[in-house]
Amino acid sequence: MHHLSLYLHFVKLRIRSQMAYRLSFVFDLFSQASISVIDFFMIALLFNRFKELAGWSLWEVGFLYGMIGVCFAIAEMIGRGFDVFQNSVMRGDFDTILIRPLGTFFQVFSQDFLLRRVGRFSQAFIILLIANSQLTISWSFVKVGYLLVSLVSGTCFFIGLFVIGATSCFWTVQSIEIINIFTHGGTFMGGYPFSIYRRWFRHFFTFIVPLACVNYFPSLFLLEKVAFSGVSSFGVYLAPFAGFLFLGITILFWRWGVLHYQSTGH
Amino acid sequence: MRSLYLTFHVYLAFVRKSFQKRMQYRVANLAGLATNFFFLLVHIFVYTAFYAASTEPQPLTLNEIITYFVLCQVSFMLMPFWGARSEVTQAIKDGSVALQLTKPVDFHTYWFADECGRACYFLFMRGLPTFFISILFFHVTFPQHPTILMAFALSMTLAIFMSTAITITIFSSAFWTLDTSGVSGMSGSVIMLFSGMLVPIALWPEWLAHIAEWLPFAGLIDVPFSIYLGKITGVGVWTAISKQMMWTLVFIGLGRFLLNRGFSRIVIQGG
Repeated sequence: MHHLSLYLHFVKLRIRSQMAYRLSFVFDLFSQASISVIDFFMIALLFNRFKELAGWSLWEVGFLYGMIGVCFAIAEMIGRGFDVFQNSVMRGDFDTILIRPLGTFFQVFSQDFLLRRVGRFSQAFIILLIANSQLTISWSFVKVGYLLVSLVSGTCFFIGLFVIGATSCFWTVQSIEIINIFTHGGTFMGGYPFSIYRRWFRHFFTFIVPLACVNYFPSLFLLEKVAFSGVSSFGVYLAPFAGFLFLGITILFWRWGVLHYQSTGH
Repeated sequence: MRSLYLTFHVYLAFVRKSFQKRMQYRVANLAGLATNFFFLLVHIFVYTAFYAASTEPQPLTLNEIITYFVLCQVSFMLMPFWGARSEVTQAIKDGSVALQLTKPVDFHTYWFADECGRACYFLFMRGLPTFFISILFFHVTFPQHPTILMAFALSMTLAIFMSTAITITIFSSAFWTLDTSGVSGMSGSVIMLFSGMLVPIALWPEWLAHIAEWLPFAGLIDVPFSIYLGKITGVGVWTAISKQMMWTLVFIGLGRFLLNRGFSRIVIQGG
Protein backbone atom coordinates (compact mmCIF):
# COMPACT_ATOMS: atom_id res chain seq x y z
CA MET A 1 0.00 0.00 0.00
CA HIS A 2 2.85 2.31 0.85
CA HIS A 3 4.35 1.69 -2.57
CA LEU A 4 1.08 2.46 -4.31
CA SER A 5 0.49 5.77 -2.61
CA LEU A 6 4.10 6.70 -3.21
CA TYR A 7 3.72 5.78 -6.86
CA LEU A 8 0.60 7.89 -7.25
CA HIS A 9 2.38 10.78 -5.62
CA PHE A 10 5.27 10.46 -8.10
CA VAL A 11 2.87 10.30 -11.02
CA LYS A 12 1.24 13.52 -9.85
CA LEU A 13 4.64 15.23 -9.80
CA ARG A 14 5.58 13.99 -13.27
CA ILE A 15 2.32 15.18 -14.74
CA ARG A 16 2.74 18.60 -13.22
CA SER A 17 6.22 18.98 -14.67
CA GLN A 18 5.07 17.87 -18.13
CA MET A 19 2.34 20.47 -18.12
CA ALA A 20 4.97 23.20 -17.82
CA TYR A 21 5.37 23.42 -21.60
CA ARG A 22 1.65 23.55 -22.20
CA LEU A 23 1.51 24.45 -25.89
CA SER A 24 4.05 21.81 -26.72
CA PHE A 25 2.12 19.29 -24.65
CA VAL A 26 -1.06 19.88 -26.63
CA PHE A 27 0.81 19.64 -29.92
CA ASP A 28 2.44 16.45 -28.79
CA LEU A 29 -0.85 14.93 -27.76
CA PHE A 30 -2.30 15.62 -31.20
CA SER A 31 0.83 14.51 -32.99
CA GLN A 32 0.73 11.19 -31.18
CA ALA A 33 -2.87 10.73 -32.21
CA SER A 34 -2.36 11.95 -35.76
CA ILE A 35 0.58 9.64 -36.39
CA SER A 36 -1.46 6.65 -35.45
CA VAL A 37 -4.60 7.81 -37.23
CA ILE A 38 -2.59 8.09 -40.43
CA ASP A 39 -1.08 4.72 -39.70
CA PHE A 40 -4.44 3.03 -39.65
CA PHE A 41 -5.77 5.14 -42.48
CA MET A 42 -3.06 3.65 -44.68
CA ILE A 43 -4.09 0.12 -43.73
CA ALA A 44 -7.65 1.06 -44.68
CA LEU A 45 -6.39 2.35 -48.04
CA LEU A 46 -4.75 -0.96 -48.77
CA PHE A 47 -7.96 -2.81 -47.90
CA ASN A 48 -9.86 -0.47 -50.15
CA ARG A 49 -7.75 -1.75 -53.02
CA PHE A 50 -7.10 -5.36 -52.06
CA LYS A 51 -10.30 -6.22 -50.09
CA GLU A 52 -8.74 -8.83 -47.78
CA LEU A 53 -5.47 -9.98 -46.27
CA ALA A 54 -4.96 -13.71 -45.81
CA GLY A 55 -8.64 -14.16 -44.95
CA TRP A 56 -8.85 -11.16 -42.60
CA SER A 57 -11.18 -8.26 -43.25
CA LEU A 58 -10.32 -4.61 -42.57
CA TRP A 59 -12.01 -4.46 -39.17
CA GLU A 60 -10.62 -7.77 -38.05
CA VAL A 61 -7.21 -6.29 -38.74
CA GLY A 62 -8.45 -3.16 -36.97
CA PHE A 63 -9.12 -5.28 -33.91
CA LEU A 64 -5.54 -6.61 -34.01
CA TYR A 65 -4.24 -3.11 -34.50
CA GLY A 66 -6.30 -1.63 -31.68
CA MET A 67 -5.29 -4.29 -29.20
CA ILE A 68 -1.57 -3.96 -29.73
CA GLY A 69 -1.85 -0.17 -29.91
CA VAL A 70 -3.58 -0.01 -26.52
CA CYS A 71 -0.99 -2.28 -24.88
CA PHE A 72 1.95 -0.38 -26.32
CA ALA A 73 0.54 3.04 -25.45
CA ILE A 74 -0.05 2.09 -21.80
CA ALA A 75 3.37 0.44 -21.59
CA GLU A 76 5.03 3.57 -22.96
CA MET A 77 3.08 5.72 -20.55
CA ILE A 78 3.90 3.85 -17.36
CA GLY A 79 7.13 2.08 -18.37
CA ARG A 80 8.83 5.27 -19.51
CA GLY A 81 11.29 5.10 -16.61
CA PHE A 82 12.97 2.08 -18.19
CA ASP A 83 12.78 3.58 -21.65
CA VAL A 84 14.92 6.56 -20.62
CA PHE A 85 17.00 4.66 -18.09
CA GLN A 86 20.23 5.03 -20.05
CA ASN A 87 20.40 8.67 -18.94
CA SER A 88 20.57 7.58 -15.31
CA VAL A 89 23.46 5.25 -16.03
CA MET A 90 25.28 7.74 -18.22
CA ARG A 91 25.05 10.49 -15.62
CA GLY A 92 25.72 8.14 -12.72
CA ASP A 93 22.34 8.94 -11.19
CA PHE A 94 21.69 5.29 -10.54
CA ASP A 95 24.00 5.62 -7.51
CA THR A 96 21.34 7.72 -5.84
CA ILE A 97 18.73 5.07 -6.49
CA LEU A 98 20.91 2.39 -4.91
CA ILE A 99 21.22 4.19 -1.59
CA ARG A 100 17.49 4.87 -1.18
CA PRO A 101 15.51 2.47 1.02
CA LEU A 102 13.31 1.14 -1.80
CA GLY A 103 13.68 -1.55 -4.46
CA THR A 104 15.56 -0.48 -7.59
CA PHE A 105 12.89 -1.84 -9.90
CA PHE A 106 10.15 0.14 -8.20
CA GLN A 107 12.18 3.33 -8.19
CA VAL A 108 13.07 3.20 -11.87
CA PHE A 109 9.50 2.24 -12.69
CA SER A 110 8.14 5.26 -10.86
CA GLN A 111 10.75 7.62 -12.23
CA ASP A 112 8.72 8.76 -15.18
CA PHE A 113 5.16 8.85 -16.42
CA LEU A 114 4.51 9.97 -19.97
CA LEU A 115 1.07 11.53 -19.90
CA ARG A 116 1.14 12.52 -23.56
CA ARG A 117 0.75 8.91 -24.63
CA VAL A 118 -2.91 9.39 -23.80
CA GLY A 119 -3.20 10.61 -27.39
CA ARG A 120 -1.96 7.38 -28.83
CA PHE A 121 -3.89 5.30 -26.37
CA SER A 122 -7.21 6.92 -27.20
CA GLN A 123 -6.66 6.50 -30.93
CA ALA A 124 -5.94 2.78 -30.57
CA PHE A 125 -8.84 2.38 -28.16
CA ILE A 126 -11.25 4.10 -30.55
CA ILE A 127 -10.14 1.83 -33.41
CA LEU A 128 -10.76 -1.13 -31.12
CA LEU A 129 -14.25 0.15 -30.33
CA ILE A 130 -15.10 0.78 -33.98
CA ALA A 131 -13.79 -2.66 -34.93
CA ASN A 132 -15.96 -4.16 -32.23
CA SER A 133 -19.06 -2.36 -33.48
CA GLN A 134 -18.39 -3.49 -37.07
CA LEU A 135 -17.69 -7.12 -36.26
CA THR A 136 -20.64 -8.44 -34.22
CA ILE A 137 -18.51 -10.31 -31.72
CA SER A 138 -20.65 -12.42 -29.40
CA TRP A 139 -19.31 -11.18 -26.08
CA SER A 140 -19.55 -13.48 -23.11
CA PHE A 141 -18.27 -13.20 -19.58
CA VAL A 142 -15.31 -15.42 -20.45
CA LYS A 143 -14.43 -13.37 -23.50
CA VAL A 144 -14.48 -10.05 -21.65
CA GLY A 145 -12.27 -11.52 -18.94
CA TYR A 146 -9.97 -13.01 -21.57
CA LEU A 147 -9.67 -9.62 -23.33
CA LEU A 148 -8.86 -7.74 -20.12
CA VAL A 149 -6.23 -10.27 -19.07
CA SER A 150 -4.74 -10.14 -22.58
CA LEU A 151 -4.51 -6.36 -22.53
CA VAL A 152 -2.78 -6.31 -19.13
CA SER A 153 -0.50 -9.13 -20.21
CA GLY A 154 0.35 -7.38 -23.47
CA THR A 155 1.23 -4.23 -21.56
CA CYS A 156 3.49 -6.33 -19.31
CA PHE A 157 5.15 -7.75 -22.41
CA PHE A 158 6.10 -4.31 -23.71
CA ILE A 159 7.27 -3.15 -20.29
CA GLY A 160 9.40 -6.31 -20.25
CA LEU A 161 11.03 -5.18 -23.49
CA PHE A 162 11.79 -1.79 -21.95
CA VAL A 163 13.28 -3.56 -18.93
CA ILE A 164 15.58 -5.59 -21.19
CA GLY A 165 16.69 -2.40 -22.92
CA ALA A 166 17.31 -0.73 -19.57
CA THR A 167 19.14 -3.70 -18.07
CA SER A 168 21.51 -3.86 -21.01
CA CYS A 169 22.69 -0.38 -19.97
CA PHE A 170 24.49 -1.95 -17.02
CA TRP A 171 26.95 -3.39 -19.52
CA THR A 172 26.75 -1.07 -22.52
CA VAL A 173 25.92 2.24 -20.74
CA GLN A 174 23.86 3.34 -23.73
CA SER A 175 20.63 1.53 -24.36
CA ILE A 176 20.83 -1.09 -27.09
CA GLU A 177 18.81 0.46 -29.87
CA ILE A 178 18.05 -2.92 -31.30
CA ILE A 179 15.23 -3.11 -28.78
CA ASN A 180 13.34 -0.61 -30.96
CA ILE A 181 12.83 -3.38 -33.48
CA PHE A 182 10.74 -5.23 -30.94
CA THR A 183 8.88 -2.24 -29.50
CA HIS A 184 8.11 0.02 -32.47
CA GLY A 185 8.71 -2.67 -35.06
CA GLY A 186 6.69 -5.09 -32.99
CA THR A 187 3.64 -2.83 -32.86
CA PHE A 188 3.93 -2.36 -36.60
CA MET A 189 4.15 -6.05 -37.45
CA GLY A 190 1.61 -6.96 -34.78
CA GLY A 191 -0.95 -4.87 -36.64
CA TYR A 192 -1.20 -7.59 -39.28
CA PRO A 193 -2.27 -11.23 -38.90
CA PHE A 194 0.68 -13.45 -38.15
CA SER A 195 -0.25 -15.95 -40.81
CA ILE A 196 1.27 -13.70 -43.49
CA TYR A 197 4.76 -14.07 -42.06
CA ARG A 198 7.28 -16.77 -42.84
CA ARG A 199 7.54 -19.74 -40.50
CA TRP A 200 10.86 -18.84 -38.86
CA PHE A 201 9.67 -15.31 -38.35
CA ARG A 202 6.41 -16.46 -36.74
CA HIS A 203 8.17 -18.92 -34.48
CA PHE A 204 10.66 -16.34 -33.31
CA PHE A 205 7.88 -13.93 -32.41
CA THR A 206 5.88 -16.60 -30.61
CA PHE A 207 8.35 -18.61 -28.58
CA ILE A 208 11.33 -16.29 -28.05
CA VAL A 209 9.75 -12.86 -28.10
CA PRO A 210 6.07 -13.67 -27.51
CA LEU A 211 4.64 -10.83 -29.55
CA ALA A 212 2.00 -13.07 -31.14
CA CYS A 213 0.55 -13.66 -27.68
CA VAL A 214 -0.19 -9.95 -27.22
CA ASN A 215 -2.90 -9.67 -29.83
CA TYR A 216 -2.82 -12.32 -32.54
CA PHE A 217 -3.74 -15.40 -30.49
CA PRO A 218 -6.21 -13.44 -28.33
CA SER A 219 -7.86 -12.06 -31.47
CA LEU A 220 -8.15 -15.55 -32.91
CA PHE A 221 -10.06 -16.56 -29.79
CA LEU A 222 -12.20 -13.44 -29.50
CA LEU A 223 -13.10 -13.31 -33.20
CA GLU A 224 -13.60 -17.09 -33.29
CA LYS A 225 -10.98 -17.66 -35.95
CA VAL A 226 -9.05 -20.38 -34.11
CA ALA A 227 -10.23 -23.25 -36.30
CA PHE A 228 -9.67 -21.19 -39.44
CA SER A 229 -6.08 -20.35 -38.47
CA GLY A 230 -4.92 -23.85 -37.64
CA VAL A 231 -3.39 -22.75 -34.34
CA SER A 232 -3.92 -25.22 -31.46
CA SER A 233 -6.70 -24.02 -29.17
CA PHE A 234 -4.68 -25.03 -26.13
CA GLY A 235 -2.00 -22.52 -27.12
CA VAL A 236 -4.64 -19.85 -27.55
CA TYR A 237 -5.84 -20.38 -23.96
CA LEU A 238 -2.30 -20.10 -22.65
CA ALA A 239 -1.40 -17.04 -24.75
CA PRO A 240 -2.64 -14.33 -22.34
CA PHE A 241 -0.19 -15.46 -19.71
CA ALA A 242 2.90 -15.15 -21.88
CA GLY A 243 3.23 -11.43 -21.15
CA PHE A 244 3.30 -11.98 -17.37
CA LEU A 245 5.88 -14.72 -17.74
CA PHE A 246 7.97 -12.53 -20.01
CA LEU A 247 7.92 -9.61 -17.58
CA GLY A 248 8.79 -11.99 -14.73
CA ILE A 249 11.85 -13.26 -16.56
CA THR A 250 12.97 -9.75 -17.45
CA ILE A 251 12.67 -8.71 -13.77
CA LEU A 252 15.03 -11.55 -12.86
CA PHE A 253 17.36 -10.32 -15.61
CA TRP A 254 17.12 -6.80 -14.14
CA ARG A 255 18.08 -8.03 -10.66
CA TRP A 256 21.05 -9.85 -12.08
CA GLY A 257 22.00 -6.77 -14.08
CA VAL A 258 21.92 -4.51 -11.02
CA LEU A 259 24.60 -6.70 -9.45
CA HIS A 260 26.84 -5.89 -12.40
CA TYR A 261 26.35 -2.15 -12.17
CA GLN A 262 29.54 -0.12 -12.22
CA SER A 263 29.07 3.53 -11.59
CA THR A 264 30.26 5.99 -14.21
CA GLY A 265 31.06 8.29 -11.31
CA HIS A 266 29.00 11.11 -9.99
CA MET B 1 34.73 35.36 -57.23
CA ARG B 2 37.35 34.47 -54.69
CA SER B 3 35.12 35.53 -51.82
CA LEU B 4 32.36 33.35 -53.21
CA TYR B 5 34.76 30.44 -53.28
CA LEU B 6 35.79 31.13 -49.68
CA THR B 7 32.18 31.32 -48.51
CA PHE B 8 31.46 28.01 -50.20
CA HIS B 9 34.52 26.54 -48.56
CA VAL B 10 33.32 27.54 -45.09
CA TYR B 11 29.95 25.89 -45.51
CA LEU B 12 31.52 22.81 -47.04
CA ALA B 13 33.56 22.53 -43.87
CA PHE B 14 30.30 22.54 -41.88
CA VAL B 15 28.99 19.72 -44.06
CA ARG B 16 32.16 17.73 -43.44
CA LYS B 17 32.14 18.32 -39.68
CA SER B 18 28.53 17.28 -39.42
CA PHE B 19 29.37 14.09 -41.31
CA GLN B 20 32.36 13.32 -39.09
CA LYS B 21 30.41 13.96 -35.91
CA ARG B 22 28.03 11.17 -36.81
CA MET B 23 30.80 8.77 -37.70
CA GLN B 24 31.31 8.33 -33.93
CA TYR B 25 28.20 6.25 -33.50
CA ARG B 26 29.06 3.08 -35.38
CA VAL B 27 27.20 0.59 -33.21
CA ALA B 28 24.09 2.75 -33.23
CA ASN B 29 24.30 2.74 -37.00
CA LEU B 30 24.39 -1.05 -37.11
CA ALA B 31 21.30 -1.16 -34.92
CA GLY B 32 19.67 1.32 -37.29
CA LEU B 33 20.53 -0.87 -40.26
CA ALA B 34 18.90 -3.83 -38.55
CA THR B 35 15.81 -1.71 -37.86
CA ASN B 36 15.61 -0.59 -41.50
CA PHE B 37 15.81 -4.18 -42.54
CA PHE B 38 13.17 -5.35 -40.15
CA PHE B 39 10.65 -2.81 -41.41
CA LEU B 40 11.52 -3.67 -44.99
CA LEU B 41 10.95 -7.34 -44.31
CA VAL B 42 7.54 -6.74 -42.71
CA HIS B 43 6.48 -4.48 -45.58
CA ILE B 44 7.45 -7.16 -48.06
CA PHE B 45 5.54 -9.84 -46.14
CA VAL B 46 2.45 -7.64 -46.02
CA TYR B 47 2.44 -6.74 -49.70
CA THR B 48 3.23 -10.28 -50.78
CA ALA B 49 0.15 -11.44 -48.87
CA PHE B 50 -2.02 -8.66 -50.31
CA TYR B 51 -0.87 -9.41 -53.85
CA ALA B 52 -1.34 -13.15 -53.39
CA ALA B 53 -5.06 -12.65 -52.73
CA SER B 54 -5.61 -10.08 -55.47
CA THR B 55 -6.78 -11.18 -58.90
CA GLU B 56 -7.05 -7.79 -60.59
CA PRO B 57 -3.98 -6.24 -62.22
CA GLN B 58 -2.37 -3.56 -60.06
CA PRO B 59 -0.64 -0.33 -61.13
CA LEU B 60 2.64 -1.63 -59.73
CA THR B 61 3.88 -5.21 -59.86
CA LEU B 62 4.98 -6.90 -56.66
CA ASN B 63 8.63 -6.59 -57.69
CA GLU B 64 8.17 -2.88 -58.28
CA ILE B 65 6.54 -2.53 -54.85
CA ILE B 66 9.48 -4.34 -53.26
CA THR B 67 11.93 -2.05 -55.05
CA TYR B 68 9.90 0.97 -53.94
CA PHE B 69 10.10 -0.05 -50.29
CA VAL B 70 13.79 -0.88 -50.53
CA LEU B 71 14.32 2.68 -51.77
CA CYS B 72 12.08 3.97 -48.95
CA GLN B 73 14.30 2.35 -46.35
CA VAL B 74 17.41 3.59 -48.14
CA SER B 75 16.27 7.19 -47.90
CA PHE B 76 14.28 6.96 -44.66
CA MET B 77 16.89 8.70 -42.53
CA LEU B 78 17.32 11.48 -45.08
CA MET B 79 13.71 12.51 -44.76
CA PRO B 80 12.20 15.12 -42.43
CA PHE B 81 10.00 12.62 -40.60
CA TRP B 82 11.72 12.10 -37.32
CA GLY B 83 13.54 15.38 -36.94
CA ALA B 84 14.60 16.24 -33.42
CA ARG B 85 18.05 14.89 -34.18
CA SER B 86 19.45 18.25 -35.04
CA GLU B 87 21.72 19.75 -32.41
CA VAL B 88 20.58 23.16 -33.61
CA THR B 89 17.16 22.84 -31.97
CA GLN B 90 18.86 21.83 -28.77
CA ALA B 91 20.97 24.97 -29.11
CA ILE B 92 17.83 27.08 -29.39
CA LYS B 93 16.37 25.39 -26.34
CA ASP B 94 19.38 25.72 -24.07
CA GLY B 95 20.38 29.16 -25.31
CA SER B 96 23.76 28.29 -26.79
CA VAL B 97 22.38 29.49 -30.10
CA ALA B 98 23.49 32.94 -28.92
CA LEU B 99 27.05 31.85 -29.67
CA GLN B 100 26.10 30.92 -33.20
CA LEU B 101 24.71 34.39 -33.72
CA THR B 102 28.06 35.96 -32.97
CA LYS B 103 29.74 33.98 -35.76
CA PRO B 104 30.11 35.65 -39.16
CA VAL B 105 28.08 33.06 -41.01
CA ASP B 106 24.54 33.05 -42.31
CA PHE B 107 22.57 30.98 -39.81
CA HIS B 108 20.17 29.40 -42.28
CA THR B 109 22.98 28.34 -44.58
CA TYR B 110 24.95 27.01 -41.65
CA TRP B 111 21.98 24.94 -40.52
CA PHE B 112 21.42 23.79 -44.10
CA ALA B 113 25.04 22.66 -44.37
CA ASP B 114 24.78 20.85 -41.06
CA GLU B 115 21.68 18.96 -42.20
CA CYS B 116 23.27 18.15 -45.56
CA GLY B 117 26.21 16.60 -43.75
CA ARG B 118 23.78 14.49 -41.80
CA ALA B 119 22.01 13.46 -44.99
CA CYS B 120 25.33 12.49 -46.63
CA TYR B 121 26.23 10.43 -43.61
CA PHE B 122 22.97 8.51 -43.67
CA LEU B 123 23.11 8.10 -47.42
CA PHE B 124 26.55 6.50 -47.37
CA MET B 125 26.54 4.70 -44.05
CA ARG B 126 22.92 3.60 -43.86
CA GLY B 127 21.21 3.98 -47.23
CA LEU B 128 23.70 2.43 -49.61
CA PRO B 129 24.47 -0.58 -47.36
CA THR B 130 20.71 -1.18 -47.05
CA PHE B 131 20.44 -1.09 -50.83
CA PHE B 132 23.30 -3.47 -51.50
CA ILE B 133 22.19 -6.01 -48.91
CA SER B 134 18.63 -5.82 -50.25
CA ILE B 135 19.83 -6.72 -53.74
CA LEU B 136 21.11 -9.99 -52.31
CA PHE B 137 17.84 -10.99 -50.69
CA PHE B 138 15.00 -9.49 -52.72
CA HIS B 139 14.00 -8.98 -56.33
CA VAL B 140 15.09 -5.40 -56.76
CA THR B 141 14.55 -4.00 -60.24
CA PHE B 142 17.01 -1.62 -61.88
CA PRO B 143 16.39 1.36 -64.16
CA GLN B 144 16.12 0.33 -67.81
CA HIS B 145 18.25 3.12 -69.19
CA PRO B 146 21.20 5.25 -67.97
CA THR B 147 19.23 8.45 -68.58
CA ILE B 148 16.62 7.22 -66.10
CA LEU B 149 19.38 6.73 -63.58
CA MET B 150 20.63 10.27 -64.18
CA ALA B 151 17.15 11.75 -63.84
CA PHE B 152 16.69 9.74 -60.64
CA ALA B 153 19.99 11.00 -59.23
CA LEU B 154 18.95 14.59 -59.93
CA SER B 155 15.49 14.10 -58.48
CA MET B 156 16.86 12.34 -55.39
CA THR B 157 19.35 15.16 -54.76
CA LEU B 158 16.51 17.66 -54.95
CA ALA B 159 14.49 15.49 -52.59
CA ILE B 160 17.32 15.68 -50.06
CA PHE B 161 17.57 19.47 -50.42
CA MET B 162 13.83 19.79 -50.03
CA SER B 163 13.91 17.54 -46.98
CA THR B 164 16.58 19.75 -45.45
CA ALA B 165 14.65 22.92 -46.19
CA ILE B 166 11.48 21.43 -44.68
CA THR B 167 13.34 20.24 -41.58
CA ILE B 168 14.66 23.73 -40.91
CA THR B 169 11.25 25.27 -41.47
CA ILE B 170 9.66 22.89 -38.98
CA PHE B 171 12.34 23.21 -36.34
CA SER B 172 12.33 26.99 -36.50
CA SER B 173 9.23 26.59 -34.37
CA ALA B 174 11.61 25.94 -31.49
CA PHE B 175 11.76 29.73 -31.11
CA TRP B 176 8.09 29.73 -30.17
CA THR B 177 7.47 26.41 -28.42
CA LEU B 178 10.98 25.47 -27.15
CA ASP B 179 10.05 21.80 -27.14
CA THR B 180 9.68 20.84 -30.78
CA SER B 181 8.66 17.21 -30.47
CA GLY B 182 4.97 18.05 -30.83
CA VAL B 183 5.19 20.24 -33.91
CA SER B 184 7.70 17.97 -35.60
CA GLY B 185 5.69 14.87 -34.80
CA MET B 186 2.46 16.30 -36.15
CA SER B 187 3.91 17.76 -39.33
CA GLY B 188 6.10 14.67 -39.70
CA SER B 189 3.10 12.39 -39.86
CA VAL B 190 1.35 14.51 -42.49
CA ILE B 191 4.54 14.74 -44.54
CA MET B 192 5.08 11.01 -44.22
CA LEU B 193 1.56 10.31 -45.44
CA PHE B 194 1.68 12.57 -48.49
CA SER B 195 5.24 11.66 -49.43
CA GLY B 196 4.12 8.16 -50.29
CA MET B 197 6.39 6.61 -47.69
CA LEU B 198 3.69 4.40 -46.17
CA VAL B 199 1.84 3.35 -49.31
CA PRO B 200 2.99 4.23 -52.86
CA ILE B 201 0.72 6.94 -54.26
CA ALA B 202 0.02 4.77 -57.32
CA LEU B 203 -2.05 2.51 -55.05
CA TRP B 204 -4.12 5.34 -53.54
CA PRO B 205 -7.70 6.09 -54.52
CA GLU B 206 -7.87 8.83 -57.12
CA TRP B 207 -9.28 11.63 -54.95
CA LEU B 208 -6.48 11.28 -52.41
CA ALA B 209 -3.75 10.95 -55.02
CA HIS B 210 -5.09 14.18 -56.47
CA ILE B 211 -4.55 15.98 -53.15
CA ALA B 212 -1.02 14.58 -52.95
CA GLU B 213 -0.31 15.96 -56.38
CA TRP B 214 -0.97 19.51 -55.19
CA LEU B 215 1.21 19.14 -52.12
CA PRO B 216 5.00 19.34 -52.19
CA PHE B 217 5.69 16.18 -50.20
CA ALA B 218 5.45 13.59 -52.97
CA GLY B 219 8.69 15.18 -54.18
CA LEU B 220 10.47 13.57 -51.25
CA ILE B 221 9.69 9.92 -51.94
CA ASP B 222 7.14 9.14 -54.58
CA VAL B 223 8.49 11.35 -57.38
CA PRO B 224 12.12 10.17 -57.33
CA PHE B 225 11.12 6.53 -56.94
CA SER B 226 8.53 6.71 -59.69
CA ILE B 227 11.26 8.09 -61.94
CA TYR B 228 13.50 5.20 -60.89
CA LEU B 229 10.77 2.67 -61.70
CA GLY B 230 10.13 4.30 -65.06
CA LYS B 231 6.57 5.31 -64.13
CA ILE B 232 7.23 8.95 -64.95
CA THR B 233 8.70 9.38 -68.42
CA GLY B 234 9.52 11.96 -71.08
CA VAL B 235 8.39 15.51 -70.40
CA GLY B 236 6.78 14.32 -67.18
CA VAL B 237 10.22 13.87 -65.66
CA TRP B 238 11.10 17.49 -66.27
CA THR B 239 7.79 18.77 -64.96
CA ALA B 240 8.25 16.68 -61.83
CA ILE B 241 11.81 17.87 -61.31
CA SER B 242 10.94 21.53 -61.81
CA LYS B 243 8.13 21.14 -59.33
CA GLN B 244 10.59 19.73 -56.81
CA MET B 245 12.90 22.65 -57.48
CA MET B 246 10.15 25.18 -57.01
CA TRP B 247 8.99 23.71 -53.71
CA THR B 248 12.56 23.51 -52.43
CA LEU B 249 12.98 27.23 -53.07
CA VAL B 250 9.65 27.95 -51.38
CA PHE B 251 10.70 26.08 -48.26
CA ILE B 252 14.11 27.73 -48.20
CA GLY B 253 12.37 31.11 -48.34
CA LEU B 254 9.91 30.14 -45.64
CA GLY B 255 12.67 28.83 -43.39
CA ARG B 256 14.69 32.02 -43.76
CA PHE B 257 11.64 34.11 -43.00
CA LEU B 258 10.80 32.13 -39.86
CA LEU B 259 14.38 32.20 -38.62
CA ASN B 260 14.52 35.97 -39.04
CA ARG B 261 11.27 36.36 -37.13
CA GLY B 262 12.54 33.98 -34.50
CA PHE B 263 15.79 35.82 -33.96
CA SER B 264 14.01 39.13 -33.68
CA ARG B 265 12.02 37.89 -30.69
CA ILE B 266 14.59 35.57 -29.16
CA VAL B 267 15.04 35.40 -25.41
CA ILE B 268 18.15 33.45 -24.55
CA GLN B 269 17.42 30.82 -21.96
CA GLY B 270 20.22 31.03 -19.45
CA GLY B 271 22.90 31.72 -22.01
